[in-house]
Amino acid sequence: MRSFCPRGILKCKAGKYPRQQSLGRAFAANGALLVALAFLCACCTPGYAAAPTFTVGWSVYAGWNPYFYMARSGILKRWADKYGVVIKVQRFDYAASLDAFVGKNIDACTMTNMEALDMPAAAGVDSTALIVGDYSNGNDAVLARSGLTLAQLPGKRIMLVQKTVSEYLLERAFEVNGLGAQIPRLRLMNTSDSDLVGAFLGDRNNPAAVTWKPLVSQILAQDSGVHSLFDSSKIPGEILDLLVVRTDILERPDGSGVRFAKAIAGAWYETVAQLASGAPAAIAGSAAASGDSVASYKDQLRTTYLFSSPKLAEQFAEGATLRQKMDLVRQFCFRHQLLGQGVQSVDDVAIRYPDGSVQGKTNRVRLRIDATYMQMAAQGKL
Amino acid sequence: MSATGPAFHLTDIQGRPRRLWTQSLSWMLFLVGILLYSQFSVARHKENPEDRVIPSGAQLIQGVKSAVLEQPEEDDPLDATATTWQRVSHGMLWRDTVSSSRRFFISLLLLIPAILLGLHMAVFPYAEAFFLRFFLFFDKIVALSLLPILFIVFGIDEWSKIMLMVIGVGPTLMLDTYNIAKSVPREQVVKAFTLQSSSLDVTYRVILKQILPQIINSVRLNLKPLALFLFAGEMIASTDGLAYRIAIMRRHMGMDIIIPYLLWVAALLFAMDALLRFANRRLHPWY
Repeated sequence: MRSFCPRGILKCKAGKYPRQQSLGRAFAANGALLVALAFLCACCTPGYAAAPTFTVGWSVYAGWNPYFYMARSGILKRWADKYGVVIKVQRFDYAASLDAFVGKNIDACTMTNMEALDMPAAAGVDSTALIVGDYSNGNDAVLARSGLTLAQLPGKRIMLVQKTVSEYLLERAFEVNGLGAQIPRLRLMNTSDSDLVGAFLGDRNNPAAVTWKPLVSQILAQDSGVHSLFDSSKIPGEILDLLVVRTDILERPDGSGVRFAKAIAGAWYETVAQLASGAPAAIAGSAAASGDSVASYKDQLRTTYLFSSPKLAEQFAEGATLRQKMDLVRQFCFRHQLLGQGVQSVDDVAIRYPDGSVQGKTNRVRLRIDATYMQMAAQGKL
Repeated sequence: MSATGPAFHLTDIQGRPRRLWTQSLSWMLFLVGILLYSQFSVARHKENPEDRVIPSGAQLIQGVKSAVLEQPEEDDPLDATATTWQRVSHGMLWRDTVSSSRRFFISLLLLIPAILLGLHMAVFPYAEAFFLRFFLFFDKIVALSLLPILFIVFGIDEWSKIMLMVIGVGPTLMLDTYNIAKSVPREQVVKAFTLQSSSLDVTYRVILKQILPQIINSVRLNLKPLALFLFAGEMIASTDGLAYRIAIMRRHMGMDIIIPYLLWVAALLFAMDALLRFANRRLHPWY
């Protein structure tokens, strides 16, 4: 049987030499490719002669849009040059920016205090909040239809992005109004933020939704039967928007991480000062970051408490109230298993404050609030 | 002269690997996948013992345990005396599987009319004239972009998700059926008429009967798009389901739950596909 097989014929026809030759050629081609690749890599890898490069991820939000303007206007470049670093600013979807930060693909990222706790910190990525940029002062709201009150909401379907500050706000609304016992009776429908407005407005039987601006403004503008039941201005300072950097970046032995922190803090407070003084270029530049109109962006800024000077931010970061507010947030995260399925105690993801005190187990510090750079900015030492 | 070893057959069309070789070769890529995964996982855990992005084996086992045994947090907790079976049947994985499967099977049922319409389009010229152009066009519409409209028409509960699946997969299946039915030789139809068949006899007893195995294969190929649309719908607005859980777990990098869920979904789809393949072989041994 075997001898019947035409393998032998094929071998004769193909011959031995041509194959070897082609193999040799393939190797040569591969070799050339390898050299080219190595060359490319050498060009891309930072740290040979070039200045150390840092990437900051941001996503669309009233308090973070200024990063776009900051990069666009050249403010950031000026500060980066001063400290001899290169800072790239990259826009992401919010969830993707967090994934990238936890995956260590970017060095710093904008996020709320809640996500700082349940994404990087809970995943064991030691992170430091460099800048306390703002807090939501009405940007997030609980909306309801046809005169419903908070007490009537349990049992009705509430649309929101679950396990985010929206759910936190909803629970706080019940707690603040003495309805805390009703929270387990809430019926939540997880709805993607990209479709929430359409889905909520599409059916007039949807009783309630929790979301943030500009979605809140869109809903309120399009349906006069919807009203706001509760918003984040009633829990000031609880939903914080931070710039978080990985602690190992900050602690780089060559000191480039510290230079990066100084540069970005300096650039941030220069940008914020422009915004606070109402400079039209700054406001228009930040509005352009999310494709909002200037009017819509100004409306969002009204309900965002921007720490307009480093002094204010530093005072807030060093104040005693921050500790209480963070405790509310971390207890929420723990209750909802956002710190991880297996985490036994809320203290397993500890927070270190500027005065050196630790909330939680001292050997498990994962999130550090660092006022150093805000302080330096306040003292004009940057 | 007999071959000395399998190495000689590697690039040979006529090679006949032995059973042992076929078996071990077919598992090779699985093994490579697992090895690569564990290498990445070990490397990341060396750097950060609490890493959640690529969970370790222990984390995955813990994740599987809590997925199977722990209740979804939106449910009322069971009392401590619950048996293992009660805990499984109230567990996240089971509850989510039930609600997702319900949506899946309802939309599969709703695809049957689409298949029949495709058949009729192929057989009856007036039906062809009426439907074909529209569905050729409609098939090209990206169903996901219709979602806001679906929400308005069907509400945000079950029906909008089911219709998303039907609208997404239906036209493709319909046109495929049409093409398959068209390829039945005209002579057979003529012959059937000479044997005094009615139009419906020809449609159902001559054409449908012989293209059924191909239609089942087409359904098998469309299982994945169907699951894709199910996932899209559940991720956009829902209160339960497999993709709902994955969306929630993504919020805090719960990869220890997400990976077992993904493997479970793959296993379910594989089982479904195998079932259809098996049914096809039993029902149509001549195909």
